[in-house]
Amino acid sequence: MADARDNPGVSRPDLRRLRRPEKAEEKFLGPLETEVMVRLWKRRSATVRDIVEDLAKTRELAYTTVMTIMVRLHEKGLLERTREGKTYVYRPSHTRDEHRARLSRDLVRGLVAEFGDAALAAFSAELDTVDSAHRAALRRLAQKDAREPR
Amino acid sequence: MSRADRVFTIMLGLALASSAILLALLLTLAPRVEQLASRGAEDTADVVAALVLLLAVCGISLGVATLFRQLTATAMLIRRLVARKIALPSTVLAAATGLELDGRIDVVSDERPFSFCYWFLRPRICLSTALVERLDADELRAVLHHERYHLRQRDPLRQIVARYFAAGLYVVPVVDELLAFHTLQKEIEADQEAVRASGDVRSLASALYKLLPDADDVSLGLLVPVSSLSVTEARIDQLIARRPLSMGLSPLSVVLSGGALIAAAVLVAFKGGASVAFETLPPLYAVPGLLVGPASLLFAAAVDGGLHQLRPLTQRLFNLST
Repeated sequence: MADARDNPGVSRPDLRRLRRPEKAEEKFLGPLETEVMVRLWKRRSATVRDIVEDLAKTRELAYTTVMTIMVRLHEKGLLERTREGKTYVYRPSHTRDEHRARLSRDLVRGLVAEFGDAALAAFSAELDTVDSAHRAALRRLAQKDAREPR
Repeated sequence: MSRADRVFTIMLGLALASSAILLALLLTLAPRVEQLASRGAEDTADVVAALVLLLAVCGISLGVATLFRQLTATAMLIRRLVARKIALPSTVLAAATGLELDGRIDVVSDERPFSFCYWFLRPRICLSTALVERLDADELRAVLHHERYHLRQRDPLRQIVARYFAAGLYVVPVVDELLAFHTLQKEIEADQEAVRASGDVRSLASALYKLLPDADDVSLGLLVPVSSLSVTEARIDQLIARRPLSMGLSPLSVVLSGGALIAAAVLVAFKGGASVAFETLPPLYAVPGLLVGPASLLFAAAVDGGLHQLRPLTQRLFNLST
Protein backbone atom coordinates (compact mmCIF):
# COMPACT_ATOMS: atom_id res chain seq x y z
CA MET A 1 0.00 0.00 0.00
CA ALA A 2 1.17 3.53 -0.68
CA ASP A 3 2.56 5.39 2.28
CA ALA A 4 4.35 8.60 3.11
CA ARG A 5 7.29 7.55 0.88
CA ASP A 6 5.10 8.17 -2.15
CA ASN A 7 4.78 11.79 -1.21
CA PRO A 8 8.34 12.91 -0.48
CA GLY A 9 8.72 16.05 1.54
CA VAL A 10 5.40 15.83 3.31
CA SER A 11 4.94 14.53 6.79
CA ARG A 12 2.11 12.35 7.96
CA PRO A 13 -0.70 14.71 8.92
CA ASP A 14 -2.66 14.67 12.10
CA LEU A 15 -6.20 14.86 10.80
CA ARG A 16 -7.44 16.19 14.10
CA ARG A 17 -5.31 19.25 13.53
CA LEU A 18 -6.74 19.90 10.11
CA ARG A 19 -10.00 21.81 9.99
CA ARG A 20 -12.88 19.77 11.33
CA PRO A 21 -16.00 19.64 9.19
CA GLU A 22 -17.72 22.41 11.08
CA LYS A 23 -21.33 23.38 10.86
CA ALA A 24 -21.90 24.92 7.46
CA GLU A 25 -22.21 28.49 8.69
CA GLU A 26 -18.78 28.43 10.29
CA LYS A 27 -17.16 27.85 6.92
CA PHE A 28 -17.69 31.41 5.86
CA LEU A 29 -18.01 33.23 9.19
CA GLY A 30 -15.33 33.73 11.81
CA PRO A 31 -15.88 32.02 15.18
CA LEU A 32 -16.98 35.29 16.85
CA GLU A 33 -19.27 36.17 13.98
CA THR A 34 -20.84 32.73 14.26
CA GLU A 35 -21.44 33.19 17.99
CA VAL A 36 -23.13 36.53 17.38
CA MET A 37 -25.27 35.14 14.56
CA VAL A 38 -26.32 32.10 16.61
CA ARG A 39 -27.56 34.41 19.36
CA LEU A 40 -29.39 36.63 16.92
CA TRP A 41 -31.08 33.65 15.29
CA LYS A 42 -32.23 32.58 18.71
CA ARG A 43 -33.42 36.04 19.84
CA ARG A 44 -34.65 37.19 16.40
CA SER A 45 -33.74 40.80 17.24
CA ALA A 46 -31.26 42.42 19.60
CA THR A 47 -29.15 45.48 20.28
CA VAL A 48 -25.37 45.35 20.63
CA ARG A 49 -25.82 45.65 24.40
CA ASP A 50 -28.16 42.60 24.46
CA ILE A 51 -25.57 40.49 22.65
CA VAL A 52 -22.70 41.68 24.86
CA GLU A 53 -24.71 40.64 27.92
CA ASP A 54 -25.71 37.36 26.33
CA LEU A 55 -22.11 36.53 25.45
CA ALA A 56 -20.90 37.59 28.90
CA LYS A 57 -22.33 34.31 30.26
CA THR A 58 -19.56 32.42 28.48
CA ARG A 59 -16.93 35.02 27.56
CA GLU A 60 -16.01 38.62 28.30
CA LEU A 61 -16.02 40.77 25.18
CA ALA A 62 -15.71 44.56 24.90
CA TYR A 63 -18.79 46.43 23.68
CA THR A 64 -16.80 47.92 20.79
CA THR A 65 -15.62 44.46 19.67
CA VAL A 66 -19.16 43.16 19.46
CA MET A 67 -20.33 46.37 17.78
CA THR A 68 -17.60 46.06 15.13
CA ILE A 69 -18.64 42.47 14.45
CA MET A 70 -22.31 43.38 14.16
CA VAL A 71 -21.62 46.32 11.86
CA ARG A 72 -19.54 44.00 9.67
CA LEU A 73 -22.34 41.41 9.61
CA HIS A 74 -24.73 44.20 8.62
CA GLU A 75 -22.37 45.23 5.80
CA LYS A 76 -22.15 41.61 4.66
CA GLY A 77 -25.95 41.61 4.40
CA LEU A 78 -26.45 39.04 7.16
CA LEU A 79 -28.09 41.49 9.56
CA GLU A 80 -30.67 44.19 8.98
CA ARG A 81 -30.94 47.08 11.40
CA THR A 82 -33.46 49.76 12.32
CA ARG A 83 -32.88 52.75 14.53
CA GLU A 84 -34.96 52.81 17.70
CA GLY A 85 -34.27 55.94 19.68
CA LYS A 86 -30.52 56.25 20.03
CA THR A 87 -29.61 52.64 19.33
CA TYR A 88 -29.80 50.24 16.45
CA VAL A 89 -31.86 47.05 16.71
CA TYR A 90 -30.41 44.22 14.59
CA ARG A 91 -32.34 41.35 12.97
CA PRO A 92 -31.01 38.40 10.89
CA SER A 93 -31.74 38.87 7.17
CA HIS A 94 -32.28 35.12 6.73
CA THR A 95 -33.25 32.25 8.97
CA ARG A 96 -30.50 29.84 9.94
CA ASP A 97 -31.72 27.24 7.47
CA GLU A 98 -31.89 29.78 4.65
CA HIS A 99 -28.38 30.93 5.49
CA ARG A 100 -27.08 27.36 5.48
CA ALA A 101 -28.74 26.68 2.13
CA ARG A 102 -27.21 29.85 0.67
CA LEU A 103 -23.77 28.86 1.91
CA SER A 104 -24.15 25.40 0.49
CA ARG A 105 -25.09 26.88 -2.85
CA ASP A 106 -22.01 29.15 -2.77
CA LEU A 107 -19.86 26.14 -1.94
CA VAL A 108 -21.30 24.15 -4.82
CA ARG A 109 -20.86 27.08 -7.19
CA GLY A 110 -17.22 27.28 -6.15
CA LEU A 111 -16.77 23.60 -6.93
CA VAL A 112 -18.57 23.90 -10.25
CA ALA A 113 -16.43 26.86 -11.26
CA GLU A 114 -13.32 24.84 -10.40
CA PHE A 115 -14.36 21.39 -11.62
CA GLY A 116 -16.84 22.27 -14.36
CA ASP A 117 -14.80 21.73 -17.50
CA ALA A 118 -12.28 19.26 -16.16
CA ALA A 119 -12.42 15.75 -17.59
CA LEU A 120 -12.79 13.51 -14.58
CA ALA A 121 -15.15 11.01 -13.05
CA ALA A 122 -16.35 12.40 -9.74
CA PHE A 123 -18.26 10.93 -6.83
CA SER A 124 -20.23 14.04 -7.44
CA ALA A 125 -23.14 14.35 -5.03
CA GLU A 126 -21.91 17.81 -4.08
CA LEU A 127 -22.49 19.13 -7.57
CA ASP A 128 -26.00 18.05 -8.18
CA THR A 129 -29.67 18.71 -7.54
CA VAL A 130 -31.30 16.39 -5.02
CA ASP A 131 -34.90 17.05 -4.01
CA SER A 132 -36.16 16.39 -0.50
CA ALA A 133 -37.93 13.12 -1.45
CA HIS A 134 -34.69 11.60 -2.78
CA ARG A 135 -32.80 12.99 0.21
CA ALA A 136 -35.21 11.22 2.59
CA ALA A 137 -35.09 7.99 0.56
CA LEU A 138 -31.31 8.00 0.66
CA ARG A 139 -31.31 8.55 4.42
CA ARG A 140 -33.59 5.54 4.89
CA LEU A 141 -31.32 3.49 2.67
CA ALA A 142 -28.26 4.59 4.64
CA GLN A 143 -29.92 3.27 7.79
CA LYS A 144 -31.21 0.03 6.28
CA ASP A 145 -29.51 -3.11 7.54
CA ALA A 146 -27.72 -1.06 10.18
CA ARG A 147 -27.75 -2.59 13.61
CA GLU A 148 -28.00 0.82 15.16
CA PRO A 149 -29.79 3.71 13.48
CA ARG A 150 -27.34 6.44 12.64
CA MET B 1 -19.28 -6.15 -21.81
CA SER B 2 -21.25 -3.90 -19.49
CA ARG B 3 -24.15 -1.76 -20.61
CA ALA B 4 -22.07 1.41 -20.31
CA ASP B 5 -19.41 -0.21 -22.52
CA ARG B 6 -22.00 -1.09 -25.13
CA VAL B 7 -23.34 2.48 -25.12
CA PHE B 8 -19.78 3.78 -25.44
CA THR B 9 -19.08 1.47 -28.38
CA ILE B 10 -22.31 2.51 -30.11
CA MET B 11 -21.52 6.16 -29.50
CA LEU B 12 -17.96 5.79 -30.82
CA GLY B 13 -19.17 3.84 -33.87
CA LEU B 14 -21.83 6.41 -34.62
CA ALA B 15 -19.35 9.24 -34.06
CA LEU B 16 -16.78 7.71 -36.44
CA ALA B 17 -19.38 6.95 -39.13
CA SER B 18 -20.84 10.46 -38.83
CA SER B 19 -17.37 11.98 -38.94
CA ALA B 20 -16.60 10.05 -42.13
CA ILE B 21 -19.81 11.25 -43.86
CA LEU B 22 -19.35 14.85 -42.74
CA LEU B 23 -15.67 14.84 -43.67
CA ALA B 24 -16.59 13.54 -47.14
CA LEU B 25 -19.07 16.41 -47.44
CA LEU B 26 -16.45 18.91 -46.34
CA LEU B 27 -13.94 17.57 -48.88
CA THR B 28 -16.60 17.67 -51.63
CA LEU B 29 -17.42 21.30 -50.93
CA ALA B 30 -14.01 22.64 -49.86
CA PRO B 31 -12.77 23.24 -53.47
CA ARG B 32 -15.59 25.76 -53.86
CA VAL B 33 -14.29 28.01 -51.08
CA GLU B 34 -12.02 29.99 -53.39
CA GLN B 35 -14.78 30.46 -55.93
CA LEU B 36 -17.27 31.53 -53.23
CA ALA B 37 -14.78 33.97 -51.75
CA SER B 38 -14.00 35.59 -55.09
CA ARG B 39 -17.45 35.96 -56.62
CA GLY B 40 -19.92 35.26 -53.81
CA ALA B 41 -22.90 32.89 -53.94
CA GLU B 42 -24.50 32.97 -57.38
CA ASP B 43 -27.08 30.20 -57.23
CA THR B 44 -28.82 27.87 -54.77
CA ALA B 45 -25.97 25.35 -54.92
CA ASP B 46 -23.53 28.08 -53.87
CA VAL B 47 -25.72 29.16 -50.94
CA VAL B 48 -26.01 25.55 -49.78
CA ALA B 49 -22.25 25.07 -50.08
CA ALA B 50 -21.56 28.24 -48.08
CA LEU B 51 -24.04 27.22 -45.37
CA VAL B 52 -22.62 23.71 -45.03
CA LEU B 53 -19.05 25.04 -44.88
CA LEU B 54 -20.09 27.46 -42.15
CA LEU B 55 -21.65 24.60 -40.13
CA ALA B 56 -18.47 22.58 -40.60
CA VAL B 57 -16.29 25.43 -39.34
CA CYS B 58 -18.57 25.71 -36.27
CA GLY B 59 -18.28 21.95 -35.63
CA ILE B 60 -14.50 21.88 -35.93
CA SER B 61 -14.18 24.94 -33.68
CA LEU B 62 -16.57 23.49 -31.08
CA GLY B 63 -14.70 20.18 -30.99
CA VAL B 64 -11.26 21.76 -30.70
CA ALA B 65 -12.47 24.32 -28.14
CA THR B 66 -14.06 21.58 -26.02
CA LEU B 67 -10.90 19.51 -26.11
CA PHE B 68 -8.72 22.50 -25.25
CA ARG B 69 -11.06 23.67 -22.46
CA GLN B 70 -11.17 20.23 -20.88
CA LEU B 71 -7.41 19.71 -21.04
CA THR B 72 -6.54 23.12 -19.59
CA ALA B 73 -9.27 22.93 -16.90
CA THR B 74 -8.09 19.46 -15.86
CA ALA B 75 -4.41 20.44 -15.83
CA MET B 76 -5.07 23.61 -13.82
CA LEU B 77 -7.33 21.85 -11.32
CA ILE B 78 -4.83 19.06 -10.76
CA ARG B 79 -1.94 21.51 -10.42
CA ARG B 80 -3.83 23.52 -7.80
CA LEU B 81 -4.83 20.41 -5.89
CA VAL B 82 -1.48 18.64 -6.07
CA ALA B 83 0.08 21.69 -4.42
CA ARG B 84 -2.06 20.83 -1.38
CA LYS B 85 -1.24 17.12 -1.38
CA ILE B 86 -0.55 15.53 1.97
CA ALA B 87 0.72 12.10 2.99
CA LEU B 88 -1.99 9.44 3.08
CA PRO B 89 -3.81 9.48 6.43
CA SER B 90 -3.91 6.13 8.21
CA THR B 91 -7.70 5.97 7.72
CA VAL B 92 -7.24 6.06 3.94
CA LEU B 93 -4.41 3.51 4.06
CA ALA B 94 -6.64 1.20 6.10
CA ALA B 95 -9.67 1.69 3.83
CA ALA B 96 -7.57 1.00 0.71
CA THR B 97 -6.08 -2.25 2.03
CA GLY B 98 -6.36 -5.02 -0.55
CA LEU B 99 -7.85 -2.75 -3.25
CA GLU B 100 -4.65 -2.79 -5.34
CA LEU B 101 -4.51 0.98 -5.45
CA ASP B 102 -0.88 1.26 -4.33
CA GLY B 103 0.51 4.67 -5.15
CA ARG B 104 -2.65 5.63 -7.05
CA ILE B 105 -4.39 7.66 -4.32
CA ASP B 106 -3.83 11.33 -3.50
CA VAL B 107 -5.28 13.13 -0.51
CA VAL B 108 -5.42 16.93 -0.77
CA SER B 109 -6.09 19.40 2.00
CA ASP B 110 -9.44 21.03 1.20
CA GLU B 111 -12.42 21.93 3.36
CA ARG B 112 -14.87 20.87 0.66
CA PRO B 113 -15.70 17.18 0.59
CA PHE B 114 -15.01 15.62 -2.82
CA SER B 115 -13.43 12.64 -4.51
CA PHE B 116 -12.73 11.94 -8.14
CA CYS B 117 -10.72 9.89 -10.56
CA TYR B 118 -8.40 11.83 -12.90
CA TRP B 119 -5.72 11.53 -15.60
CA PHE B 120 -6.04 9.62 -18.78
CA LEU B 121 -3.68 6.71 -19.39
CA ARG B 122 -2.78 5.87 -15.79
CA PRO B 123 -5.62 7.41 -13.76
CA ARG B 124 -5.37 8.29 -10.07
CA ILE B 125 -7.89 8.86 -7.30
CA CYS B 126 -8.07 12.16 -5.46
CA LEU B 127 -9.80 12.57 -2.08
CA SER B 128 -10.15 15.76 -0.05
CA THR B 129 -9.37 15.86 3.67
CA ALA B 130 -12.94 17.07 4.34
CA LEU B 131 -14.29 13.92 2.69
CA VAL B 132 -11.86 11.68 4.59
CA GLU B 133 -12.87 13.29 7.89
CA ARG B 134 -16.57 13.18 7.19
CA LEU B 135 -16.80 9.49 6.28
CA ASP B 136 -16.27 6.44 8.47
CA ALA B 137 -14.07 3.49 7.44
CA ASP B 138 -16.81 1.53 5.62
CA GLU B 139 -18.08 4.61 3.79
CA LEU B 140 -14.56 5.55 2.73
CA ARG B 141 -13.98 2.04 1.40
CA ALA B 142 -17.27 2.22 -0.54
CA VAL B 143 -16.15 5.50 -2.14
CA LEU B 144 -12.77 3.94 -3.00
CA HIS B 145 -14.53 0.97 -4.62
CA HIS B 146 -16.63 3.43 -6.65
CA GLU B 147 -13.55 5.37 -7.77
CA ARG B 148 -11.57 2.20 -8.46
CA TYR B 149 -14.22 1.24 -11.01
CA HIS B 150 -13.68 4.59 -12.81
CA LEU B 151 -9.93 4.11 -12.55
CA ARG B 152 -9.91 0.60 -14.03
CA GLN B 153 -12.23 1.67 -16.83
CA ARG B 154 -10.12 4.77 -17.58
CA ASP B 155 -13.31 6.81 -17.44
CA PRO B 156 -11.65 10.24 -17.57
CA LEU B 157 -10.16 9.29 -20.96
CA ARG B 158 -13.51 8.00 -22.22
CA GLN B 159 -15.12 11.20 -20.94
CA ILE B 160 -12.77 13.56 -22.79
CA VAL B 161 -13.04 11.58 -26.04
CA ALA B 162 -16.83 11.39 -25.80
CA ARG B 163 -17.20 15.09 -25.03
CA TYR B 164 -14.95 15.96 -27.96
CA PHE B 165 -17.10 13.97 -30.38
CA ALA B 166 -20.37 15.26 -28.88
CA ALA B 167 -19.24 18.87 -29.38
CA GLY B 168 -17.65 18.42 -32.81
CA LEU B 169 -20.64 16.41 -34.07
CA TYR B 170 -23.23 18.88 -32.83
CA VAL B 171 -25.19 18.32 -36.07
CA VAL B 172 -25.78 14.73 -34.86
CA PRO B 173 -27.40 15.60 -31.49
CA VAL B 174 -27.98 11.95 -30.60
CA VAL B 175 -24.22 11.61 -29.88
CA ASP B 176 -24.63 14.13 -27.06
CA GLU B 177 -27.58 12.19 -25.65
CA LEU B 178 -25.60 8.95 -25.78
CA LEU B 179 -22.81 10.74 -23.90
CA ALA B 180 -25.25 11.85 -21.17
CA PHE B 181 -26.61 8.32 -20.84
CA HIS B 182 -23.10 6.86 -20.81
CA THR B 183 -22.02 9.26 -18.01
CA LEU B 184 -25.01 8.29 -15.90
CA GLN B 185 -24.70 4.55 -16.62
CA LYS B 186 -21.02 4.74 -15.60
CA GLU B 187 -21.92 6.28 -12.24
CA ILE B 188 -24.55 3.63 -11.69
CA GLU B 189 -22.17 0.79 -12.56
CA ALA B 190 -19.50 2.28 -10.25
CA ASP B 191 -22.14 2.41 -7.50
CA GLN B 192 -23.17 -1.20 -8.20
CA GLU B 193 -19.54 -2.28 -8.01
CA ALA B 194 -19.17 -0.53 -4.63
CA VAL B 195 -22.39 -2.11 -3.31
CA ARG B 196 -21.29 -5.56 -4.51
CA ALA B 197 -17.88 -5.17 -2.88
CA SER B 198 -19.30 -3.77 0.39
CA GLY B 199 -21.86 -6.57 0.67
CA ASP B 200 -24.73 -4.15 1.27
CA VAL B 201 -25.99 -0.81 0.07
CA ARG B 202 -25.71 0.97 3.39
CA SER B 203 -22.08 2.18 3.28
CA LEU B 204 -22.38 3.74 -0.15
CA ALA B 205 -25.82 5.26 0.54
CA SER B 206 -24.54 6.68 3.79
CA ALA B 207 -21.44 8.16 2.10
CA LEU B 208 -23.60 9.70 -0.62
CA TYR B 209 -25.99 11.10 1.98
CA LYS B 210 -23.18 12.72 3.95
CA LEU B 211 -21.94 14.47 0.81
CA LEU B 212 -25.23 16.00 -0.30
CA PRO B 213 -25.25 19.78 -0.32
CA ASP B 214 -27.44 21.40 2.33
CA ALA B 215 -29.51 23.24 -0.24
CA ASP B 216 -31.85 20.96 -2.16
CA ASP B 217 -32.45 23.33 -5.04
CA VAL B 218 -28.91 23.57 -6.34
CA SER B 219 -28.94 23.04 -10.06
CA LEU B 220 -25.99 24.16 -12.10
CA GLY B 221 -26.26 22.01 -15.17
CA LEU B 222 -22.80 20.58 -14.75
CA LEU B 223 -23.94 17.01 -14.89
CA VAL B 224 -26.40 16.31 -17.63
CA PRO B 225 -29.82 15.45 -16.26
CA VAL B 226 -31.63 12.49 -17.75
CA SER B 227 -35.33 13.28 -18.15
CA SER B 228 -36.26 15.33 -15.10
CA LEU B 229 -33.90 13.58 -12.69
CA SER B 230 -30.44 14.78 -11.80
CA VAL B 231 -27.62 12.25 -11.96
CA THR B 232 -27.55 11.88 -8.17
CA GLU B 233 -31.33 11.42 -8.02
CA ALA B 234 -31.14 8.75 -10.71
CA ARG B 235 -28.33 7.07 -8.74
CA ILE B 236 -30.46 7.09 -5.59
CA ASP B 237 -33.36 5.55 -7.53
CA GLN B 238 -31.03 2.84 -8.77
CA LEU B 239 -29.76 2.10 -5.27
CA ILE B 240 -33.35 1.64 -4.14
CA ALA B 241 -34.73 -0.37 -7.07
CA ARG B 242 -32.09 -1.92 -9.30
CA ARG B 243 -34.01 -1.82 -12.55
CA PRO B 244 -32.02 -1.30 -15.72
CA LEU B 245 -32.21 2.33 -16.69
CA SER B 246 -34.12 3.07 -19.89
CA MET B 247 -32.06 4.92 -22.45
CA GLY B 248 -34.81 7.44 -23.25
CA LEU B 249 -33.32 9.10 -26.33
CA SER B 250 -35.45 12.01 -27.45
CA PRO B 251 -37.31 11.19 -30.71
CA LEU B 252 -36.51 14.68 -32.03
CA SER B 253 -32.77 14.09 -31.60
CA VAL B 254 -32.97 10.69 -33.29
CA VAL B 255 -34.97 12.10 -36.24
CA LEU B 256 -32.71 15.16 -36.61
CA SER B 257 -29.53 13.09 -36.37
CA GLY B 258 -30.78 10.53 -38.92
CA GLY B 259 -32.02 13.35 -41.15
CA ALA B 260 -28.71 15.21 -40.93
CA LEU B 261 -26.68 12.12 -41.86
CA ILE B 262 -28.96 11.21 -44.78
CA ALA B 263 -28.91 14.84 -45.92
CA ALA B 264 -25.10 14.90 -45.76
CA ALA B 265 -24.93 11.64 -47.72
CA VAL B 266 -27.28 13.04 -50.42
CA LEU B 267 -25.22 16.21 -50.69
CA VAL B 268 -22.03 14.15 -51.05
CA ALA B 269 -23.63 11.90 -53.69
CA PHE B 270 -24.67 14.85 -55.83
CA LYS B 271 -21.55 16.86 -54.99
CA GLY B 272 -23.66 19.67 -53.55
CA GLY B 273 -25.39 20.18 -56.90
CA ALA B 274 -22.22 20.05 -59.03
CA SER B 275 -22.52 16.45 -60.22
CA VAL B 276 -23.54 15.46 -63.74
CA ALA B 277 -26.43 13.38 -62.38
CA PHE B 278 -27.84 16.46 -60.66
CA GLU B 279 -27.78 18.53 -63.84
CA THR B 280 -29.72 15.91 -65.80
CA LEU B 281 -32.64 16.07 -63.33
CA PRO B 282 -35.41 18.68 -63.72
CA PRO B 283 -34.51 21.64 -61.45
CA LEU B 284 -38.11 21.82 -60.16
CA TYR B 285 -37.50 18.56 -58.24
CA ALA B 286 -33.72 18.48 -57.94
CA VAL B 287 -33.17 21.87 -56.29
CA PRO B 288 -35.67 21.48 -53.42
CA GLY B 289 -35.26 17.69 -53.10
CA LEU B 290 -31.51 17.31 -53.36
CA LEU B 291 -30.19 20.71 -52.27
CA VAL B 292 -32.53 22.89 -50.23
CA GLY B 293 -34.23 20.00 -48.40
CA PRO B 294 -31.04 18.31 -47.21
CA ALA B 295 -29.45 21.64 -46.32
CA SER B 296 -32.52 22.60 -44.25
CA LEU B 297 -32.36 19.27 -42.41
CA LEU B 298 -28.67 19.80 -41.66
CA PHE B 299 -29.38 23.32 -40.49
CA ALA B 300 -32.28 22.24 -38.23
CA ALA B 301 -30.10 19.55 -36.64
CA ALA B 302 -27.28 22.08 -36.22
CA VAL B 303 -29.58 24.54 -34.42
CA ASP B 304 -30.90 21.82 -32.09
CA GLY B 305 -27.43 20.37 -31.41
CA GLY B 306 -25.83 23.80 -31.06
CA LEU B 307 -28.40 24.82 -28.44
CA HIS B 308 -27.73 21.53 -26.65
CA GLN B 309 -24.00 22.26 -26.56
CA LEU B 310 -24.50 25.79 -25.29
CA ARG B 311 -27.09 24.90 -22.65
CA PRO B 312 -24.73 23.85 -19.81
CA LEU B 313 -22.70 26.99 -20.41
CA THR B 314 -25.67 29.38 -20.41
CA GLN B 315 -27.23 27.59 -17.46
CA ARG B 316 -24.02 27.94 -15.50
CA LEU B 317 -23.66 31.63 -16.38
CA PHE B 318 -27.30 32.20 -15.42
CA ASN B 319 -26.83 30.41 -12.11
CA LEU B 320 -23.63 32.23 -11.28
CA SER B 321 -25.24 35.58 -11.96
CA THR B 322 -28.25 34.99 -9.71
